[in-house]
Amino acid sequence: MESLLSNPAVQGGGAPFIAALIVAVALSRARLGGLAVLAAFATAVWFVAGFGVTPLTATRKIFLLGLAAPVLGALIDFAFRPTRLGAWALALAAAAAALWTFWPVLAQRGAAQALLLGGTAAVTAAWLVGFSQAKLASDGIRAGAAGLALGVGVGAAAILAASLTYGLYGIALGAGSGAFLLPQMIAGKKTQAGMTFMLPAALLAGLLAAGTMVLAEMPWYAVLALGLVPVAVRLPLPAGAPVWLQAVLSSLYGFIVAAGVCALAWHAGG
Amino acid sequence: MTGRYAAGLIAIALPLAAAAAPETYTVDPYHTFPYFEVIHLNTSIVRGRFQKVSGKLTLDTAAKTGTIELSVPTATLDTGDGEKGDRPRARDEHLRSPDFFNVAEFPTMTFKGKAAKFNGDAPAEIQGELTLLGVTKPLTLTMLRWHCGPDPRSQGKRYFCGGNATGSFKRSDYGMKFIVGPVSDDVNLWMSMEAFRD
Repeated sequence: MESLLSNPAVQGGGAPFIAALIVAVALSRARLGGLAVLAAFATAVWFVAGFGVTPLTATRKIFLLGLAAPVLGALIDFAFRPTRLGAWALALAAAAAALWTFWPVLAQRGAAQALLLGGTAAVTAAWLVGFSQAKLASDGIRAGAAGLALGVGVGAAAILAASLTYGLYGIALGAGSGAFLLPQMIAGKKTQAGMTFMLPAALLAGLLAAGTMVLAEMPWYAVLALGLVPVAVRLPLPAGAPVWLQAVLSSLYGFIVAAGVCALAWHAGG
Repeated sequence: MTGRYAAGLIAIALPLAAAAAPETYTVDPYHTFPYFEVIHLNTSIVRGRFQKVSGKLTLDTAAKTGTIELSVPTATLDTGDGEKGDRPRARDEHLRSPDFFNVAEFPTMTFKGKAAKFNGDAPAEIQGELTLLGVTKPLTLTMLRWHCGPDPRSQGKRYFCGGNATGSFKRSDYGMKFIVGPVSDDVNLWMSMEAFRD
């Protein structure tokens, strides 16, 4: 059992998926099925590194933001109507979160590199969160597909960029999104995603990609390219297609972009 | 007359005071390396070292005291696998990532210690603190050998000391928890050092 639980595939994929599936099924009627992402990410963190806040490293800041994001997302879903202004505010908050996360590391770099890496991190986090709020949060299938492709894409690219830890967190994000999608595909009915799901999925994907760029070997342009994933899952679907087919096709669109991100990460190593 | 006695006493005391004073040494970066070793997948021992070290020692053999301060740029680690070949990344690149040494966020590892035991004029044990990944924990180094003397390369004009020390720690104590088990938690440390008297 111990060797099974120490297997990276279980830590980053199997266990997070099961935890997320339980949450997605149990809380979907309460419109909190999106907490599946939180369940998956927290499970992976528990297995891979454990919870702790000292010293407050960039990775631990990502943990904290990953825990806070679904709480904020649920608050937004239940207390506010989605507006364009709200999307802008969330995007700016995501950019600020990215800079807060990586500033101590960026401060050790030269000005040009700090600007490039910090700018990439802030723009990517802002774009992913803002676009997700404006264009994806209302559609459980497209939101789930975006989370799936973002998570798997960031995870695979992080592994190629020399960080298996960030790779496992990314894949856990994908597993959580997959667990959010699966009950919808089986039931043939879309459920509420909202910012309870989309905020942690988008923010964590952006921060994990940026973390792999700042702390490991992910090229900055691969991080920016990741921003095309949520755009891709918005591509047209066949009219009247069943929910499961919509999920498959949306995910496929996202995976194509994610594969491009992985290719950029692979080739960056020379 | 009194003044002459005083001058005589000072003349005698000065060299003694000088001999008893702590001497400071600067680490020779070309002959000072921390080596580390871990067990990989419960099979072989993988060894590596850091290529650059800077630091200072003080030694007072009369008072049996000594101190050491070392600073190690973690990005200089080298396990002999720096070429990625047809793999995604080389082992050294992986070791520099947040999975292990997280060199971008924690570019320096430090050790500060005091000689706790002496064997004659040679320090036998150093008790100190290792700071790695922002975490500071006690670490004891046992001296395996130590020698001081004129540096033969300078026809004796330069005086230096050097030796070897060893110790061990658990990497998880410093938050380096990635795949503990497949890669051993226990890290053995082997220190080679030489330092020139200032």
